[in-house]
Amino acid sequence: MDFALNDEQRMLVDAAARYVRDNCDLEQRRQTSRGDDGFSREHWRNFANLGWLALTLPERAGGLDWGVVELALLTEQLARGLVIEPVVDTSVLCGSLLASATSPHADSLLARIAGGELFAALAHIEGGGRCEFDTPLATTATAAGDGWRLEGTKHLVFGGHNAGLLVVGARLEGGELGLFAVAADSAGLSRTNYRLIDGSRAADVRLDGVSVPGDALLLRGQAARDALALAIDKSIIAGCGSALGAMETVMAMTADYLKTRVQYGKPLAQFQALQHRMAEMLVETEQARAMLCRALSLFDDPAQRPAAVSAAKVLISKAARWVTAQGIQLHGGIATTEEYAVGHHYKAMLAFEQRFGDSDWHLARCDTLIDRSPH
Amino acid sequence: MNLKLDPQLDDFRAEVRAFLRETLAEDVIRRSRIGMHPPNEDDRRWWNRTLYKKGWVAPAWPEAYGGTGWSPIQRHIFEMECRAAGAPELRWQGLRLIGPVIYTFGTPEQKARYLPPILKCEEFWGQGFSEPQAGSDLVSLRTSAVLDGDEYVINGQKLWTSECNFSNMGFFLCRTDPAVKPQAGISMFLFPLDTPGVTVRAFETINGDYANCEVFLDNVRVPKSAMLGAPGSGWDQAKFLLGNERTSSADIEKAHADLMRIRTIAATELKDGRPLLEDKGFRHQLTQLHLEVEALDWAVLRVLLEAPSNFPVAACASVLKVRGSTLQQKLSELAFSALGPRGLRLYTCAEGFAHTGDDPLWPLHTAGVTADLLYLRACTIFGGAMEVQKNIIAKVAFGL
Repeated sequence: MDFALNDEQRMLVDAAARYVRDNCDLEQRRQTSRGDDGFSREHWRNFANLGWLALTLPERAGGLDWGVVELALLTEQLARGLVIEPVVDTSVLCGSLLASATSPHADSLLARIAGGELFAALAHIEGGGRCEFDTPLATTATAAGDGWRLEGTKHLVFGGHNAGLLVVGARLEGGELGLFAVAADSAGLSRTNYRLIDGSRAADVRLDGVSVPGDALLLRGQAARDALALAIDKSIIAGCGSALGAMETVMAMTADYLKTRVQYGKPLAQFQALQHRMAEMLVETEQARAMLCRALSLFDDPAQRPAAVSAAKVLISKAARWVTAQGIQLHGGIATTEEYAVGHHYKAMLAFEQRFGDSDWHLARCDTLIDRSPH
Repeated sequence: MNLKLDPQLDDFRAEVRAFLRETLAEDVIRRSRIGMHPPNEDDRRWWNRTLYKKGWVAPAWPEAYGGTGWSPIQRHIFEMECRAAGAPELRWQGLRLIGPVIYTFGTPEQKARYLPPILKCEEFWGQGFSEPQAGSDLVSLRTSAVLDGDEYVINGQKLWTSECNFSNMGFFLCRTDPAVKPQAGISMFLFPLDTPGVTVRAFETINGDYANCEVFLDNVRVPKSAMLGAPGSGWDQAKFLLGNERTSSADIEKAHADLMRIRTIAATELKDGRPLLEDKGFRHQLTQLHLEVEALDWAVLRVLLEAPSNFPVAACASVLKVRGSTLQQKLSELAFSALGPRGLRLYTCAEGFAHTGDDPLWPLHTAGVTADLLYLRACTIFGGAMEVQKNIIAKVAFGL
């Protein structure tokens, strides 16, 4: 066991840290998040050139085939700069689903994702569902000639507002799950877009008799459910990495602020109540980092992965919400303004907690831990 | 980054397990798991001698002084396995506290004189650091040692000398030079507790037992050679002592054992006629704590293996202490609440060790939980109070 980064990991981290430092300032992010796309296509091209969109994709489709360790290292750095571009939804979540499909059509879509030419979003949740795992599945896919005809409404399609590709979950005849690759410009597909608190966007997607070809069916039945669980677990790991980046950034900003802000005739840094709060923030952050390491260690073991990922999500999202909220508290009013990064980190952590199943859901998924012997 | 344990460690773990399985008798395991404070004296002395014979009594010591040559991760595995198997707790003052200070700062004569009896379980040490007026603010200690011819004459009072009532040796911080800055005027002395002028008085703590003492030092005359290292080096030695086991303060072995204990209790205790372990609310509470233990476990591994961090290792060690001690208290509180009102029964050490659970109204798991809860109120105080640890973290990690 060795926690030190190897050369390739070090290069990845350095490149991402440098990119964020040089190119990702909050003012520019605020501008682009309000523009038509909601993010920067220039950043996206750069991410593609740096290989980040291909990071976890299979080699056969132009990917680098790296693992979740590298994924978490990358997202940790990107989160430091509040990167808003849909790396996780496109490359990790949909990328993983397409990779599980192992079809020529899926591989060609993956190659376009790796090259930065295609944005993708998962359209699975429906009204009445709180996450991908508990959603009702009223959307239907009926065989029509050589292809399929999709009918239904998808809710909370994160990053779906301008994605070219939607991976749509639908009920096949007989009731099993089918995952379809659907071009967003298909006839009969319409979207209602809205903004989210973290500056990203989502859409509700109406499928009104959308016809897709036969090879649009990527996965079905148990294979679809397994692929979905894997893709979501990978995305959660990416989110855990982001949370670490957010926590450390907020702590650093807060420590700096405490040293410069003077009240009652002395810097805030000299108040013990505030020193202790910072210490507690580090305690939470270090536990979160340890828990991410644990999840990364167990990720490739299918028997342990779900509980390990859930355990990490529960512990890390709780820590991250608290640490970023304390960042606001210790700054005072300034951190409640939209021009200040700390509040944005807090919002990103609220989003992390709610996505892919909230803490209640994941706590239930990992409560089998207590029935197991520790060794 | 390689986040898997080296497979060769599985062999090591198996070797340790096999040894524990063939060595530990059922009664010893029962008395250890009950977890009284202080632990059963005969059991821990037997265990010390047994491990000495095996060559495993001081894994953290350099091989030249009787250590095992194990890596930090092997030592971690050994500790985990011992605790999980129900081995007695070794007395730590000699093996963990003063032993390393002696082999690091002592003269060859002092090493030869003091180290072997610690390993062989012939001498037991008490730690005389705190005083009535010097708790967390240890540097303000007042016990004085004044040179008179070839002897030092020591006067003062020490407090919180854990298990001194079971010890025959003591290491004491004394002020040898009141004129210099406080840190520079402190020296460490080693001497037998039967030296004339030494009075040890054990007092009862809230868990209903006697594991803590005050020590009165009244014109105690000790030879110059009782001083460890040079005059004025006691403060550095004390800092070394408190810092040299960076991860043990997390007591992660106990945390895992406590999870097992809570599970045992909850599988037996009933709520509305069903095992408590099936209650959704209880499962959530236990799972939350389980997650915190797993996180702490990996935090310990990260410090043991010197994982790269944006924060100095001293901060990370204090983080382990803060979280570890808090978690111990939370675990003991959940064990107590799982037990319900039967947890209100007071078991003294003697009653706890004699408790075999034959009475169905008082099964095995009912003893020890409450004594542990009460004893553990101290774990956020000893070894550097929680608030002091937070001061350290704020300073070292953030420069506040």
